[in-house]
Amino acid sequence: MDKFAVLQFYALLKREFLEHRNLFLGAPAVLAFLILVAAVWVASQVDSAIIVEGLEYLAVLFDGLSPFDMAPFFLLLSIPFMMTLYVCCLIYLVNTLFQDRKEMSVLFWQSMPVSNFQTVLAKLVTVIVVAPIFYVAIIFCLYLVAIIWLAILGFTNGVAIAGIGWMFLAALASLILIYFSSFIASLWLFPTLGWLLLFSAFARKTPLLWAGGVFILVGFLESFLFGSEYLANWVQSRATNPNQYLIFDLQTIVARLFNYDMFFGIAIGSILVAGAVYMRRFID
Amino acid sequence: MSNIVEARALEKSYGSFKALDCVDLTIPSGAISGLIGPNGAGKTTTLKSLIGLCDVEGELCVAGRDPRVARHKLMEDVCFIADVGILPKWLKVSHVIDYVEAVHPRFDRKKAEKFLSTTEIPANKRIKNLSKGMVTQLHLAIVMAIEVQLLVLDEPTLGLDIIYRKEFYDRLLNDYYDGNRTIIISTHQVEEVEALLSHLIFINKGKIVLNASMSDLADTYTEVLVDADQLVQADSLNPIHIRELLGKKSYTFEGVARPQLESLGELHTPSVADLFVAKMREDKHG
Repeated sequence: MDKFAVLQFYALLKREFLEHRNLFLGAPAVLAFLILVAAVWVASQVDSAIIVEGLEYLAVLFDGLSPFDMAPFFLLLSIPFMMTLYVCCLIYLVNTLFQDRKEMSVLFWQSMPVSNFQTVLAKLVTVIVVAPIFYVAIIFCLYLVAIIWLAILGFTNGVAIAGIGWMFLAALASLILIYFSSFIASLWLFPTLGWLLLFSAFARKTPLLWAGGVFILVGFLESFLFGSEYLANWVQSRATNPNQYLIFDLQTIVARLFNYDMFFGIAIGSILVAGAVYMRRFID
Repeated sequence: MSNIVEARALEKSYGSFKALDCVDLTIPSGAISGLIGPNGAGKTTTLKSLIGLCDVEGELCVAGRDPRVARHKLMEDVCFIADVGILPKWLKVSHVIDYVEAVHPRFDRKKAEKFLSTTEIPANKRIKNLSKGMVTQLHLAIVMAIEVQLLVLDEPTLGLDIIYRKEFYDRLLNDYYDGNRTIIISTHQVEEVEALLSHLIFINKGKIVLNASMSDLADTYTEVLVDADQLVQADSLNPIHIRELLGKKSYTFEGVARPQLESLGELHTPSVADLFVAKMREDKHG
């Protein structure tokens, strides 16, 4: 790939970020702020001796243990961020090919020498690769503030700082797990990504309603015509498989990525994405 | 002179409405062509077809490519400004320049910035905070900084006041057009572009009703302010349009030799606006 193509794709990703910065930066920043405010409020309501006692317990608990062994603790703490990420990605995907048609800026984007495949690919890369980076960065900032606060608290109350240092290393290690959890969950949900993009490219109004409505209709038709519920069962089995949403250790990443179910989902999702690229061709 | 646009039997329907009805169109390279037609005539559909934004049937070749299968490659050679404010409202001016610089291999940033420096458009403002005239100026600045063969303008000055409109066309002619580039302009404001055009295309109800060079118009069309005693003879020559003018009747003829008309009254070449009305009425009646 030549340098111009790389810069061109970077510009497409930058466009996605600028257009949806509220979803990718604003939403996690607001959540982090709310968590901090809640933490400060809780701390102000609890006797400081209990907080110091809890901190001493955690410092002892984390002291000397492998950061990756303790990282799942912080991974679970980040679940609100991951839920926010998934909701924001859903909002993004369902609107991204619809909004510019609605406001007619699609005429500008289509007047540039950028293919529809490049445009749709940039949107997928935004969801799968780029958006989790912003979320992880915000979580890092939150953990940094929390650790500094705990370190000051520990230092002034004679708690062993080393344990708090180990806690911070575990928090850093959790960021890697959070990123790969999001990355693998996005690939696992690739059929959903493709489905949302398809209706974002197709619908003239209310793309979310189209995406949800057609899915229900297809499921109903399958049940009515064939008396089966393969589609609903398949979707349910994928949606409720917790193994594909949280990664607790790095060793499992390869197994989660390279398996038949993952490949099958990516293949189905790719067909739907190809449909979105096709729908994007013309504006009328 | 080679043709930059060649279209044969273009068809486009929206339900039972035929937006394009067997359109044959050729536009020579280097021409400034005006695509003129009433509302709903098929102007925008034609222009969108030329840049691959509309799925039409028929043969179509623009700058050596079929826009329906190679839009993004074609857009390296073609620029487009639409009738609506199409620049994304959430972008800042500087972001637009950055984006076009990154994705368009023929964009010259310095040229765009030089053009913008002659306007009052601030680089750090969002598009939504600019006036419509400024948005059009910005889009023109971008387009003028791209080295392309064909510029397609769909009602580019719609909704602008007369100062912006005049400046737009002055810039286009003086700073952009170099005799090699081709420009296609669709507009309602015929009088404003009349002096720019080298070719004229009339479209009505999805059909091309006129496609001629401006120099051919004088040879083909004649308007005669007919003397009262010559009306019967004028009627016998099958005028395409008759209108009342200062108490007299003005006849427009197509393809009738001037010596044949000289005895009828005062001759002159019809303006584009008058010819447009004549051709549209001819279509309505005939």
